[in-house]
Amino acid sequence: MKTNTNIKAALTIATAALLGTSNAAQAETTSTAGVEESAWEFDSAFLFYSEVDRVSASEAIINATKTFADDQVLNLKLTVDVLTGASANGAVAQPNVQTFTRPSGNGQYTITAGDTPLDDTFHDTRVQLNGQWTQLIAPNYTASGGVHISKEYDYLSLGINGNIAFDFDRKNSTFSAGFSYFQDTFTPEGRIPKPFTSMLIGDSSSGSWDDDFSETRIGSEDTKTTTDILLGFTQVINRRMISQFNYSYSMVDGYLTDPFKILSVVSDFNAPDSGIAQDYIYESRPDSRIKQSIYAQSLYHFEHSVLDISYRYMWDDWKITSHTIDSRFRIPLGDTFGRESYIQPHFRFYQQSAAEFYQPFLIDGDTLPAYASADYRIGEMTTFTVGLKYGLLVNNGDDLSFRLEYYRQIPTNAGFDEPGVLNDVDLYPTIDAIIGQVTYSF
Amino acid sequence: MNKNRVVRLTKNKDSYGITFNAMASPCEVIIQSTDKQLAAKLGELIATEVWRIEDKYSRYDHSSVCSAINNHAGHSVAIDEETYLLLNFAEQCYQLSDGFFDISSGVLRKVWSFQGAQASEGNNDKFPTAEQVKQMLKNVGWRKIYFDQKQITLEKGMEIDFGGIGKEYAVDRAIILAKQLTNSPVLVNLGGDLAVTASRLNNEPWQVAIEHPGRDNNHINFADMIISLKSGALATSGDARRYLIKNGKRYGHILNAKTGWPIDQAPRSITVVAPQCIQAGILATLALLQGANAEQFLKKQEIKFWARR
Repeated sequence: MKTNTNIKAALTIATAALLGTSNAAQAETTSTAGVEESAWEFDSAFLFYSEVDRVSASEAIINATKTFADDQVLNLKLTVDVLTGASANGAVAQPNVQTFTRPSGNGQYTITAGDTPLDDTFHDTRVQLNGQWTQLIAPNYTASGGVHISKEYDYLSLGINGNIAFDFDRKNSTFSAGFSYFQDTFTPEGRIPKPFTSMLIGDSSSGSWDDDFSETRIGSEDTKTTTDILLGFTQVINRRMISQFNYSYSMVDGYLTDPFKILSVVSDFNAPDSGIAQDYIYESRPDSRIKQSIYAQSLYHFEHSVLDISYRYMWDDWKITSHTIDSRFRIPLGDTFGRESYIQPHFRFYQQSAAEFYQPFLIDGDTLPAYASADYRIGEMTTFTVGLKYGLLVNNGDDLSFRLEYYRQIPTNAGFDEPGVLNDVDLYPTIDAIIGQVTYSF
Repeated sequence: MNKNRVVRLTKNKDSYGITFNAMASPCEVIIQSTDKQLAAKLGELIATEVWRIEDKYSRYDHSSVCSAINNHAGHSVAIDEETYLLLNFAEQCYQLSDGFFDISSGVLRKVWSFQGAQASEGNNDKFPTAEQVKQMLKNVGWRKIYFDQKQITLEKGMEIDFGGIGKEYAVDRAIILAKQLTNSPVLVNLGGDLAVTASRLNNEPWQVAIEHPGRDNNHINFADMIISLKSGALATSGDARRYLIKNGKRYGHILNAKTGWPIDQAPRSITVVAPQCIQAGILATLALLQGANAEQFLKKQEIKFWARR
């Protein structure tokens, strides 16, 4: 007999197919023989993300879950990320070589004519720890609470969260309400630049450099707080289908500007050197943001395969709106390769409009707006992800999976006319990335 | 066949008990509610469903679907969705057990008669010869059965038997009906295979006594085991009273569908806890089929169980 396969799990699925019941059913018992706790269950994953010529990220995750006798669940998750590479600094490409000062103020870097300016000093290691405790507090009421701590070289994030879920209609429906609160402290290298001041460019070894550089700074650290409220409703539609609807409201207050991002100030349309950068100034963003989103997800169980489709609509008071369509289709392959396995194609589509203060560049001589940022991440864009995951059961029912995905980000012009030389350079470069992941659950 | 189909209702302190006979076993439903009308309605609903399943899948009943399939071995027989789902489930159990669990193995009983066997050397006449077993084994083999959503075809001489899953399936069906009717806690017990819809009021567990299979045997009176059940199901597989003894060796009634011979060193019975009764029943049976490794098999699957040897 196949003692190495997870017969219990396979039977659960076979039983659900026979009885048309959900797999979530649990058997809770205690006996004179004593109560047993489950052993720790572990998931480990290694993820690699690489943008062509830009950022690379490696991430290792270990996730541990333990279920105690009274169905209390403790989950601990440790994530370590390493980011390296180059990131767009916000300035536009030019027909000539450009020189920029590093965020630290220690030295300069130059960008070849025609290239999108990238700051290649991007390097960070992040360690993140999450703990979550979930338990039944009354019949049909499940409560959960958690803490979060994340530390990077120049960033500290602390958070707490709480959630309560109520099952009704014989557990066919679940209503949940949750909140989370995060306090982030940012202490960027080179301190925080004064919004809209010019980037100091010159001889960083000269005697007056440090004083001049300090003139462009306003402090060494700043904070932001994030409060999220999430309302959710899950409904079992029939024995094959389950749907979920969420609404979220998020308030962010504090320092929301990116201290590493600048804007090019270029000569106007009528100038002889129209479109040539005259200055680089640090960006400035509002100190609050209110985001809302609605989300719908449906899982449909066919005879063997499972289709998972979701849609999210997000809008905020920066006037960014976005649509996300995400779909996965899990196809079991049976014992085709000697082991139980599945493949799961993935497709994701994302489209966002630009923030109202997004500007790819500023025009020299124009009045400064209240806020401005040339960060492509808040500009207009469309992205696609296509991928494939292959998973198989290995020894003792452990789950091993491989994921490979291709990501393409296509920034588009949100309606800005381009003066002079800017017509000859690419202001909205496309980014391609490859994502690889290996996951092992034991 | 004696079809004494009566549902009896009794009032207890904070609950109603409903008793009836089905599938050759005493059956009991308990609802923790003082609403007599609701209890009566539930009892009628569950008894009707259990009798329906018995009539449809009993191999003893000549008008059952099971008999229709067996009596037309060699020809295709039309089936409905429920029968297809049960066959599909049996197929998966066959695959998971690598062929040890096979609902076509029931014909072996024609050469193996454990019925009424006593613990003595005096029943050697019931012991089959190797040749008899070999001949009968030709009529066993799930792989030789063809079925799809609309029909099933057995080879001539073959039979199928839903005995290994029918009672547990009836428990699970009864639980589904009970949940549809009421939110009050309900326990369904069909001859020892049982399940609950939820914990008792105030999250109290149900106290379930499992009869020790050695109880009636040779005057040894083992204590019953009390299990507290808050949700899910439990099922027992095995029967300590059904075995043969030859040359001092005990042969239990669990047969290896591949060899046609009893499984060596199988526990006398195994009780398993699982979310659904049919799951518990299959896990208990699959464990018995492991013989000496039964306990190890269940431990590896991280299943709560009690084995009697």
